[in-house]
Amino acid sequence: MRGENISLSRKQFKMNQNVKRIVRKIFTAAGIVLLAAIFYLAIAKVYPFNWGVVARYKSMFLKGLLITFQVSAVSILISFGLGLIFSIMKTSKIEFFKDIASIYVWIFRNTPLLVVILLTYYGVGTIFNLNRFWAAVLALSLFEGAYMTEIIRSGIEAVDPGEIEAAHSLGMTNSQIFLSIVFPQAIRISLPPLIGQMISLVKDSSLASVIALGELTMMGRQVGTSSFATFESYIVVAFIYIMLTSVLSILGRYLERRMSLA
Amino acid sequence: MSTIVSLRNVRKEFKGFEALKGVDLDVESGEILVVLGPSGAGKSTMLRTINYLVKPDDGEVYFEGQRLSTATLKELRKVRSKIGFVFQHFNLFSHLNALDNVAIGRVKVKGESWESARKQAMKYLEKVGLTDKAYNYPAQLSGGQKQRVAIARALAMEPDVLLFDEPTSALDPSLVGEVLKVMKSLALEGRTMIVVTHEMGFAKSVATRIVYMENGQVVEESSPQQFFTFPESDGARRFINSILERV
Repeated sequence: MRGENISLSRKQFKMNQNVKRIVRKIFTAAGIVLLAAIFYLAIAKVYPFNWGVVARYKSMFLKGLLITFQVSAVSILISFGLGLIFSIMKTSKIEFFKDIASIYVWIFRNTPLLVVILLTYYGVGTIFNLNRFWAAVLALSLFEGAYMTEIIRSGIEAVDPGEIEAAHSLGMTNSQIFLSIVFPQAIRISLPPLIGQMISLVKDSSLASVIALGELTMMGRQVGTSSFATFESYIVVAFIYIMLTSVLSILGRYLERRMSLA
Repeated sequence: MSTIVSLRNVRKEFKGFEALKGVDLDVESGEILVVLGPSGAGKSTMLRTINYLVKPDDGEVYFEGQRLSTATLKELRKVRSKIGFVFQHFNLFSHLNALDNVAIGRVKVKGESWESARKQAMKYLEKVGLTDKAYNYPAQLSGGQKQRVAIARALAMEPDVLLFDEPTSALDPSLVGEVLKVMKSLALEGRTMIVVTHEMGFAKSVATRIVYMENGQVVEESSPQQFFTFPESDGARRFINSILERV
């Protein structure tokens, strides 16, 4: 009887804690909305916001969003592939592969992305006849791939060498050990920073506006200059980027939860 | 009885430190060989040369008559699959549950299907008394439970010999018993075992032979009774005394 009472009150206590937490969050959110509103109204006194103009250019924002999405999605896939290949090379026992991977990482982590984009479009692009879209994809993939290489490499190296020894003691081959022991753990370990890098990639794709790829940032600028509603236009652009990257964060959290051990 | 493991003049150096200075050893099938000695004596290194996790710099290792220095990688893997190895730090695959830890060797090395390997794995978990933990991940197991899963993993390969590298040294004192109990039951089945340990009780009651190592060499080989009552070398005498004093 007594025990029951205790566990019941403990349950109630936990529920109270949760209710308190949610109430706190609602208050925080309300506070931020209030602050933003004050800020907005203060600015509105000196800057006459004109949202009607922005709404008229809806199709341009959507077009920009579509291209940003396409460039990012393709680049995420390719950069992840590059990260996989070069991280495996970097952790291999063959000196030549290691050197190649190190040079790749060294070059692309030490060059500004803006310069990489200009190089691929005006340099490589003119020689191999790349259009703006593929030049941007190539630049973003090579650049972010270097970071992903390092992320996955550290994941591979974080796998307990004792487990590899144990796998050898069972008589497993090197490739079996890599595929069924090292790789699954390396990906699980590097998932959070990988998602972070993918979010960076989406944001970095805005730099492709310098080669006049009509992605979100470029479209935002065009709307701003032709409608004279620059501020409104960039607010919309920022808002769309936040939405886009938030989807990635949520996806990442879902994957993390699915891959976590029990 | 036939010889299952032979070491001939095995030497190993790690960056200027001579871990093994020419070790000779023969192990007959059915023996429970306990290897004793102070830390740094080369016990673990010696054990690792038996399945070539450590490749000797010099000397020969024979497993069931096969010379390992000239074996191909494929032959070496075959040999390793016949040698069960239990590690001090368990080394369970942390992304697999207990059942799959035991089953994976049969799947990857013996080419069995996951379904039938898991069925077999369950039998080995039963042997170590852990069927109720089959779907737990290593992080959810106690040290003693982890080591019993590791023993089941080794057993699942149906090895001809079992090697134990200080299997209870990383355990809470209260968890040592459950692991030793499993090891004793394996000894009673007539399995061939080579055990590096500091558990004197186990050495006294289970071993069929004691090997005493010091400074990378085998110093003394005798029966447990003789070793614990009339140790021949000074080193062994000091070692036994230091352990007895520890109480």
